Amino acid sequence: MNFKQILTDLFTYTPQEEYNFELLRNTVNDTELENEYLKKENQDTSIYTSLSVNLEYVKSKYNSMINSDIIVREFTLIARGKQYSAFLLYIDGMIDTDIMNRFILEPLMLRNKSNLYGNDQNRIISEAVTNNITVRKVKKFNLADYIMNCLMPQNTVKQCSEFSEVFNDVNSGNCALFIDTLNVAFDIEVKGFEKRSIEKPENEIVIKGAHEAFVENIRTNTSLIRRSVHNENLIIENIKIGEITKTSCALCYIKTLANSDLVSEVRYRLNNLKIDSMLSSGQLEQMIIDNNLISIPQTISTERPDKTASYLLDGRVILLVNGAPYALIVPAVYTDFLSTPDDKNMRTSFSNFVKWIRILATFLSLLLPGLYVAIASFHQELLPTDLLYSILASRETVPFPVIFEILLLEISFELIREAGIRVPSPIGPTIGIVGALIIGQSAVSAGIVSPVLIIIVAITGIASFAVPDYSFSFHLRLYRFAFIFLGYCCGFLGIGLGLLAYIAVLCDTKSFGIPLTSGISPLQKTVGHSYFLQPIWLREFRASYLDAKKEEKQEKISMKWKYPFLKKEDTK
Amino acid sequence: MKHLLKVVCFVIIFVILTVSFSNSYTRVNLDNIAVVVAMGIDKGENNKLKVCFQFTNPSSISESGSSETASTILKSVDASSISSAINSMNSYLGKELTLAHCKLVVFSEELAKEGISDIIYTLMNDAQTRPSCNIVISKCTAEHYINNSKPFLEPLISKYYELFISSNQFTGYTSNATLGKFFDNMICQSCDPYAILGGINLQLPDSSQDALTNKETSDKSNSASLSGNTVSENVGLAVFREGALVGELNAIETLAFMCIGNEVKGFLISVPNPQVENQNVDVYLTPKANTKIDVSLVNGSPYITVDCKYCGQIYSMTNDSNYLDSEILSRISESCNRYLEYIFTEYLYKTAKEYKSDINAIGKNSLKLFSTIDEYETYGWREHYQDSFFDVSAQVNVRSSSLLSDS
Amino acid sequence: MTDSKITSKEAIMLVVTIFVSHTIVTLPQNLLSNTKSATLINLIYVGIIAILLAYVIYRLLKNFASLDIIDISQYLGGNVLKSIVGGIFIAYFIVTSSNLLREFCEGLRVAFFPMTNILSILVPFILVLFITNYLSFSSNVKTISLIFPLVLISIVFLFFGNFGNFSFERMFPVLGKGFADTFITGIGNIFAFSGISCLYFIPPYLKEPNQMKKICLSSVIIGLMYFLFCTATILLLFSFFVDVDEVLPLYSAASYIEFGIFFQRLESFFMLIWILEIGSYLIVTNRFSISIFQKITNLKFHKPLAMIFPLLIFGIALLPKNYSIIRFLESNIYAYFIIAIVFVFGIAILFLANLKKRKEKRVKPQKIQ
Repeated sequence: MNFKQILTDLFTYTPQEEYNFELLRNTVNDTELENEYLKKENQDTSIYTSLSVNLEYVKSKYNSMINSDIIVREFTLIARGKQYSAFLLYIDGMIDTDIMNRFILEPLMLRNKSNLYGNDQNRIISEAVTNNITVRKVKKFNLADYIMNCLMPQNTVKQCSEFSEVFNDVNSGNCALFIDTLNVAFDIEVKGFEKRSIEKPENEIVIKGAHEAFVENIRTNTSLIRRSVHNENLIIENIKIGEITKTSCALCYIKTLANSDLVSEVRYRLNNLKIDSMLSSGQLEQMIIDNNLISIPQTISTERPDKTASYLLDGRVILLVNGAPYALIVPAVYTDFLSTPDDKNMRTSFSNFVKWIRILATFLSLLLPGLYVAIASFHQELLPTDLLYSILASRETVPFPVIFEILLLEISFELIREAGIRVPSPIGPTIGIVGALIIGQSAVSAGIVSPVLIIIVAITGIASFAVPDYSFSFHLRLYRFAFIFLGYCCGFLGIGLGLLAYIAVLCDTKSFGIPLTSGISPLQKTVGHSYFLQPIWLREFRASYLDAKKEEKQEKISMKWKYPFLKKEDTK
Repeated sequence: MKHLLKVVCFVIIFVILTVSFSNSYTRVNLDNIAVVVAMGIDKGENNKLKVCFQFTNPSSISESGSSETASTILKSVDASSISSAINSMNSYLGKELTLAHCKLVVFSEELAKEGISDIIYTLMNDAQTRPSCNIVISKCTAEHYINNSKPFLEPLISKYYELFISSNQFTGYTSNATLGKFFDNMICQSCDPYAILGGINLQLPDSSQDALTNKETSDKSNSASLSGNTVSENVGLAVFREGALVGELNAIETLAFMCIGNEVKGFLISVPNPQVENQNVDVYLTPKANTKIDVSLVNGSPYITVDCKYCGQIYSMTNDSNYLDSEILSRISESCNRYLEYIFTEYLYKTAKEYKSDINAIGKNSLKLFSTIDEYETYGWREHYQDSFFDVSAQVNVRSSSLLSDS
Repeated sequence: MTDSKITSKEAIMLVVTIFVSHTIVTLPQNLLSNTKSATLINLIYVGIIAILLAYVIYRLLKNFASLDIIDISQYLGGNVLKSIVGGIFIAYFIVTSSNLLREFCEGLRVAFFPMTNILSILVPFILVLFITNYLSFSSNVKTISLIFPLVLISIVFLFFGNFGNFSFERMFPVLGKGFADTFITGIGNIFAFSGISCLYFIPPYLKEPNQMKKICLSSVIIGLMYFLFCTATILLLFSFFVDVDEVLPLYSAASYIEFGIFFQRLESFFMLIWILEIGSYLIVTNRFSISIFQKITNLKFHKPLAMIFPLLIFGIALLPKNYSIIRFLESNIYAYFIIAIVFVFGIAILFLANLKKRKEKRVKPQKIQ
């Protein structure tokens, strides 16, 4: 070892080799090229008559060299004794191979009776002879019609002349048939991908109602709705959203009930979304609601078909997104967030009782911690003296002020909640119990928090679970913190004024043109259901704020069996 | 950028509000208060007041709720007024005193005789004071009274103070005199205030007492015939005239006051047995209707008729009582009537002539006679009350005895 | 304004809100100091007069469908009169609301925040006003109609909760200060019905203008019943002979309510409801001031004005140096101010406009002939 070597080793700096990946920003040239490419992509191209050109185009579009599951099956088609080259384009894994083999390839490739007819390509319809001149009316042989009408015993076949149409459906799981000399392609329904079967709803459990829930596939969902509504006036429009994904979105409404302006407005909003992708109903919800600043939900999100059907029959509009098992119901009103499908299944007295428990839960979830902080900070005279003494005694060992304590507990509760969602299922429920009870108890014993506060936070947490709508309960959880701060700041003055501002903003929010507080704020006679659900024989009218085409839901005397002696005039 | 500005604005507003309310927060916040349970005011030296405050130590109330009596702390200061007393106490304790849970205010007899209207005004001026706080005039010093007020059925002294007067509705021996009512009566021109009379019984447990036949007629605080370990007693009423103590009422007179004021729900009286001499019958009376008081002016003096109706039930039985005979029942009723009329009349004349104080607020019934307030003020109820003539009629309907009716 | 109209029930609640908010502060005390024990009878008497006046206003407004007093004054005297009338009413709204706000905040300070500056207590109210001024008029009215039932329930609860403590003899002597004082000078108590000023401004906002009669009469009747409840609570509970004036007498009345041992000292809950009520009163006066200003100056949008009027109210609320000036204003000057502007001036303008319209009607047929 050289002395010089040692010195250089000690004092020279050799940079470490680090792996550094950076996304380079687009330069001007790049963006120009991109725009050109996009323009080319968006041009609608018609199908060519030459098979080889079609094949090249399709292969380049789908990058079949790289894409492993794009299959092109070339074969020879026999029609009327003549042979044509053809190919089938499909995506492996999305089709039902059995259907394709038996109902497409077999009849087209193999000889069968209808294919034996040959030569006469034209069919004579009528003949007239005058003055030795024969005039024949001839029907020209149309290969496309012939194949579609006679050769392919498959239920859904469509003729397409644009590539974009074809690709759209191939991406959904159909297969496309291209035939030489034809400038149309056949779009054949052969979907057979694996999907989840209809299961129980996970997040909206009821005691007496149906136990079916929506799945990811939009066709299954629409079938569930169709079965419930059972009427030909149910319209399910298909709208494609997203430039890249072209996600199918279904707009459902009952033509004879839903207000046409409402339907047009929903359609207008859906058609005017310039986004690349739409992957879930939550995303759709955020893109179409009126006011995104305030976190209050303005649509109802449900995974139950029975709830969806009942809202459809009220005159509302339903939105389904392919790939999400949630339906969006518009418009929504504040009182809808407090009702469950069970309300209409149970007797009115039970459902009203439970409804008022939920209203109490809403109030507690939003205001209880704030009220506690306000009372403890400014208004102790409200508490009965004995309760005050127990609170004082329990707070003796606690080193923190009330506000810090309550924030600590609330945030820990939120942490436990969030962690509980992601914990693997065997220990999931245990964590909830462990977290809530034992950690809380240990915190009290250690003197970090007072037991009264544990009770308050526990009641608040339970109340927030009692609220039926998930987004609504989340909204309450968020605003609870605002009220805690207000209570700490100025006591009842802060809470009162905060409540006033909250109510004012609530009254101003609209959901598709209908104020959110429609049922409760100006108390009207014909209301859907606001604070109280009416008995079933009194629910004669649909909600007036929806302005449905047909106001009356049932006749004045709906139970005709009870009053057989009444004449027709008395019932009106 | 705009959104960021909005967020910054919110934060600034929050900070400003917190800072501006922080003074009040520090003062009234839960961690910073010392809760006064009872307050006693005595006459101190050099025209000063001696104010004592009673606190409960919260840490003695354990989590599981002990059944032992919670310890209380009594502190007193000399000051020239209530407010300065509170101020001095704040500096001794280091915590802020709050009267929001004060259930009892005790004045010593000495001080009450000189007049306590200023103190009452000051107390009512404070937003924290409860109008439902009881007011007691103690025959000993207030500090002594509070010190010896130990509950023997409740663990918490505050609970004791809430409940100690509740039996009055069924005995009538003392009244639920509250600070709010005292203040109201004090400033009203047609009535006078009253307070509970309290005292400390210093009898030792093994000293005997002669059984008095009509012992309840002379019962007052400090001279009651109760023996045992009880120390504080609240029997009787302190009568005021315009803020100064002028006299006391014993148990029976207080009962009369409660009956005329419709405050009693039931009470026990011991009337002479019409059949047997030198024997008494205990009858429990409940009011049938509100006492009717009618005032009219005769030659400028008030002529007051008092009409009361009660139902009775006989509680005492001997081996030869027969309460199925209607004549016997009606004779007992008449005996009750006479007794009640006697005690009511005695009470009314005593307060009107001797004390010149209208604690039953009979003056309010006289408002009907005048058509304008000026006329009323010119008449001057207070001066004329001592000349009033009372006509009491009591109607008792003794219905039956309790379980046994004939022995 | 292009936002939607309000229903007749909401309009009634709007008008009664103004009656209600004054009673929370010191109105009952002012009434009682004027007529002492005859206040209840006097209120019924004055209430009947107010109902008649409301009917008169309805008849005078009927000829001008969906026009408020500003438009009518423009019709009567052109832009000059319109500006004058608008200016007077803006001043009226702002001064009364700032006075009320200051009194209420003084009460809050005594009750809850002894160490806080009055400025800090005023600030939260102003902030809320900022927020609500950005919203539309109909949503503000919806807010008020949500809060209003709470207030009514609280007053009824206050009355019945204190029932055991009432002494009905305090209603005597019947004539109080005397016949003249009760019935002749007592007409001055009509200043309690200052909420009638709202009736001048609501016609353009109504969905059903033909319900105006119902609105006018129902609101005054409900207001009258409300006054009776409040004044009875204070009259029968406290002695009126005294010259003890209280800050927020209803607050003191609320402290007497007790149900057993548990429910005692509930006045803080009442204050919470009354804070909401005062907030809604401020919203109403603000919105009317803004709409008057818009009409006078022919502005298209109301949102830029959202911050101005709350700041004006804030400034004027801070003007009085101490509480005695506020009480002096409230009990002596305020009553005449209201009677002059709301009853005399307003009705005079309507009356003159009606006369002018009648003249025109007579002139037109003559011209045709």
